[in-house]
Amino acid sequence: MTASNQMGGINRLPAPRGLLIDRSKQITFTFEGHSFTGYAGDTVASALAANDAWMISRSFKYHRPRGVLTMIGQDANTLVQIGDEPNCLADKRAIEPDMAIEGQNYIGTLEADRGRMVELVKKFLPVGFYYKTFHEKRDSWRFWEPIVRAMAGLGKIDLKADFHHSYYDKKYLFADVAVIGGGPAGLAAALQAAETGAEVILVEESPQLGGSLNYARFDETGDGGSRTSGELASRVRLQPNITVMTNAICSGWFADNWLPVIQGNRFHKLRVKAVVLATGSIEQPAVFRNNDLPGIMMGSAAQRLIHLYGVRPGKRAVILTANRDGYGQALDLLEAGIEVAAVIDLRPTPPQDTMTKAVQRAGIEIRTGHAIAEAMHIGQKKHVSGVSVAPIIGEGELGKAVAEYACDTVLMSVGYSPAGQLLHHAGTKFGYDTRSHMFKPEAVPAHVFAAGSVNNTFDLSAVLADGRYAGWAAAKDAGFERGSELAPPVERGAEEQTHPWPIFPHAKGMEFVDFDEDLKIEDLINGIHDGYDSVELLKRYSTVGMGPSQGKHSAVAAVRIVSRETGMDLRNMSVTTQRPPYTPEKFGHLAGRIFDPERRTAMHHRHLELGAQMMPAGLWWRPGYYGAKADRDQIIRDEVNNVRNNVGLIDVSTLGGLDVRGPDAAEFLNRMYTFTYTKLQVGRSRYLLMTDQTGVITDDGVACRFHDEHFYVTATTSGVDGVYRQMLQWNAQWRLDVDVANVTAAYAGVNIAGPKSREVLARVCHDIDLSPEGFPYLGVRMGTVAGIPARLMRVGFVGELGYEIHVPASYGEALWDALMAAGGLNGIRPFGVEAQRVLRLEKGHIIVSQDTDGLTNAYEADMPWAVAKSKPFHVGGRSAEIQLKNGLTRKLVGFTLKNADDPCPEECHLVLKGSAIVGRVTSAVHSPSLKKVVGLAYVHPDDAQPGSTFDIKVHGGRIIQGTVVPIPFFDPENKRQEM
Amino acid sequence: MNALPKTVPNGLQRRSFLYRQLQQAGAEFAEVNGGAVAIRYGNNEAVELDRAKAMGIADLSVLPRTGFKGTGTVEWLQTQGLTIGQESNVAYRQSGGEWAARLAPTEIFLVDSLAGSGQLIDRLNQSWAWGSEKPRKAIGYPTPRQDSHAWFMVTGQHAPDMFAKICGIDFRLHKFAVGQIAQTSIAKMSGIIIRTDLGTTPAYHLLADIASADYLWPAVQDAMKEFNGGPVGLNALRRLEG
Repeated sequence: MTASNQMGGINRLPAPRGLLIDRSKQITFTFEGHSFTGYAGDTVASALAANDAWMISRSFKYHRPRGVLTMIGQDANTLVQIGDEPNCLADKRAIEPDMAIEGQNYIGTLEADRGRMVELVKKFLPVGFYYKTFHEKRDSWRFWEPIVRAMAGLGKIDLKADFHHSYYDKKYLFADVAVIGGGPAGLAAALQAAETGAEVILVEESPQLGGSLNYARFDETGDGGSRTSGELASRVRLQPNITVMTNAICSGWFADNWLPVIQGNRFHKLRVKAVVLATGSIEQPAVFRNNDLPGIMMGSAAQRLIHLYGVRPGKRAVILTANRDGYGQALDLLEAGIEVAAVIDLRPTPPQDTMTKAVQRAGIEIRTGHAIAEAMHIGQKKHVSGVSVAPIIGEGELGKAVAEYACDTVLMSVGYSPAGQLLHHAGTKFGYDTRSHMFKPEAVPAHVFAAGSVNNTFDLSAVLADGRYAGWAAAKDAGFERGSELAPPVERGAEEQTHPWPIFPHAKGMEFVDFDEDLKIEDLINGIHDGYDSVELLKRYSTVGMGPSQGKHSAVAAVRIVSRETGMDLRNMSVTTQRPPYTPEKFGHLAGRIFDPERRTAMHHRHLELGAQMMPAGLWWRPGYYGAKADRDQIIRDEVNNVRNNVGLIDVSTLGGLDVRGPDAAEFLNRMYTFTYTKLQVGRSRYLLMTDQTGVITDDGVACRFHDEHFYVTATTSGVDGVYRQMLQWNAQWRLDVDVANVTAAYAGVNIAGPKSREVLARVCHDIDLSPEGFPYLGVRMGTVAGIPARLMRVGFVGELGYEIHVPASYGEALWDALMAAGGLNGIRPFGVEAQRVLRLEKGHIIVSQDTDGLTNAYEADMPWAVAKSKPFHVGGRSAEIQLKNGLTRKLVGFTLKNADDPCPEECHLVLKGSAIVGRVTSAVHSPSLKKVVGLAYVHPDDAQPGSTFDIKVHGGRIIQGTVVPIPFFDPENKRQEM
Repeated sequence: MNALPKTVPNGLQRRSFLYRQLQQAGAEFAEVNGGAVAIRYGNNEAVELDRAKAMGIADLSVLPRTGFKGTGTVEWLQTQGLTIGQESNVAYRQSGGEWAARLAPTEIFLVDSLAGSGQLIDRLNQSWAWGSEKPRKAIGYPTPRQDSHAWFMVTGQHAPDMFAKICGIDFRLHKFAVGQIAQTSIAKMSGIIIRTDLGTTPAYHLLADIASADYLWPAVQDAMKEFNGGPVGLNALRRLEG
């Protein structure tokens, strides 16, 4: 490889060629360690080609040298590694300063790849290798695995690298009509749709509008395309109803015209009323021996190099053609100073038109009815050096070679296939057209319109007319009817564009049908003979069309070969199913910017300032304990002891809060919960237990009656949203006169608990009688705390004198500050969720979803006291009664350990009866207050009586014994919380 | 002459969940409605005004707001002098510059004007009572909107483009009229957006879960970055309003 520092590269053509490059800005980069210079606007491939570097990468299977094929990112030939990013399309990716680029898939160096030896043993790697090798000889995997793994994949990822997340995001787009493709048909469609009144988004994958108008030759003079492009593009830019997106690619079509559009690191989400797919066509390669050599490329690729990048594709070219475009390419090459050795036309008698005549006038040799039999090469297949040409004596049959041409460039212009991927995604039916020898869309779904060469239209004036018609029809479909009705073109100029059989087997093989997977004609034939005789089966067996380019250049040839080998009629066949994405998408695009909402209480920052270890609770963050992780257990014990002996403060803002108001509020709660609330006095609270229709416990909390018609209902942190939904759903049926509002976030809450809590609270609460008589256990009051309007509840979750204080959330931090200050004299300290769990367990209180599961009813949880028998109905009541009558299979009990030296069981350790699993431990802790293990567990009902023992299987399979004891474990007479 | 003492957010009892982030961004505060609102960032008011015209976001969370919902709500508010039209998902401007956002046939979210005096809102909150007549007349129920939702205002010509990065609603000026309401998902959380332009500058109230304010504020600013957007103070909004 020779690096060149000549201005822009030795193959650079003078301006005005090079529509996309800016010759005033040079960019230096490295490829395979060599320094190269290109221009801003160059792709990696065009900059390398300008510097006469044609070998870009190595093929997947045989490690054959590969170079430019399409110059539009439709093939896998140009996949390169750029820095730590593998599989970048060199003919799409723009060069950047100091970019470090390497080829892919080689062992050693790109130039001297030891992996090329694989080709020598190709007989041992037949099509269907996996099927044949591992179907019966499964043990052979041990031998092959390291080899297969070494060969698998393209590019390199350093798994030990310090991965960084690049910034990707997503954005919605809005329009009435989307036009995908900014070529002549797309431009005409966008203009017509906009003029009909629709708001249009035009999506073009190239940096510039115009599509083939910018590089293809539409007439003898060669300026018709660029003139038309300029006119259309400027009209589009002047049209206020059109938003143009260049360098943007629509990678799929999804239901109801949902279109992902990728542009740079952004993933756009576009939904439109109607879409025009003007995605063009894909030039197809001819299949002949060594058709994959660097220097052999599509005719359109050469034209792109010349016109878009100002790069000479070679010095001496042979053009293999079957259409008018090949002659246009000959003229383009001549004008660019490239010698054209010959035009080889597959057609026996091509039509004589102005372009053909111009080539003849230029004195270029034209061989009709001939094809390339073989391409020769230099230096281990690094570049094409010439071709041998033979007469066509039958479909896919060549006579003896009659001539050889030395050349360094071969252009293939033998036909097209519609770029119909998006149409396929939308469910369009394609049929094979025997006149144009192409598949064409026959039944396009509603709200989807095709235009241009994807719609079997090739004559430029017909393409423009087709675009205008599609734009008008799409706008009309979207509800706009300005202007007169248009009709589609009658003549589309699709004939004489595509040869029916540009496939020429050679005795020595190596005629590549699929460049991605190194599949040759014989591979497909062998696959068919192995029994995989349909296109879909052959695809899976041979992997044809399964490489990175997804069959863009192999699918049609594969169908033709299957047709011939099986005798099936092409008209009844189709290419394999094409699914999104149309082009490779990165995970970054799919992920976008990660939105990860979280909820914080008003006191969140106070907890952090106090050294809290925060823990998630649903979307919320709650303080687990306050202090260093290393001291966790001691801290939790200290926090527990401070509540038991002094006064503690916990943030309970995350608990759910629901205002249930209205004349039927009490009746509503009666139906929603197991208890009864009709007679609950104003100023009092009562426990709530919610079950679903199957009687399973789903939530619990407290109902605080602040008015005859107003209950403030608390719910669990993670359960409140579900409770709220259930309430709305049920009342939609019951139609009680009640209003439910989820006010969880609107209130911050704390629980000040401990024997000194009243003393502390009294310092900041002056408008409520806090005496045991004035504000007894389970009482609720409204008043102020530190001047802040508050709802106060005397509750006993932790088993001590305590007050829950709920205030408007904006005051939460001020409330916390006031209570911490007021309690300073008493040694108040905050306690976290971990200490609260210990405290509540010492009191034997359950936590729904920890001590219950998806099957637990109130009787299993040993909570019949929470089920009112005096009312006719509550949700789940009847189901639980039936389950009770049928007999319980387990029961929740309090337990301690028979042997105090045994280890504390953990949650979900199994409870056994003999060898049978009958339950599990739900909570267990070594109680700081009781100095022994206490816990809750499901046991067999026969073992549920106090004093019974049961087996617990703990770590390592060891069996220890639990003893059932009554709950509460601590302060069984509840004197402390009721003081 | 002695300088006026600076307003410090944690010196007042009503606090925006965001006040630390506002402080870090260089906010200067003034007391409104018993809380500290960021009135400016830095000393260059012209720059801040230009930012507000192009792409700005202000935290109005301490400013007054309230809500009412349930049967009889709209009728009761109309008897209290409010102008509320028939259509839901429309906000109706009141004579004092407040906006009554009709979220549903029987639900109103009332946000104060940028003056933040809270006169109308205080009066309504004080007027609502259970009543003693039997059967009680249906007048809806107050909802604690002052504290359920953080309140941001997003301003500037780039606002629709910015919203398209975090929300699936088309907020472009010719598609989303002044007074229109979207109750939707914003940066993956529920929220309410109401367009109420300030003079000729597009402006959108953004009301979302107060507990997620700390998350949403930087998430929106992240989306604003490509438009050189950033926080603006209440003073800039008042100047835009004219």
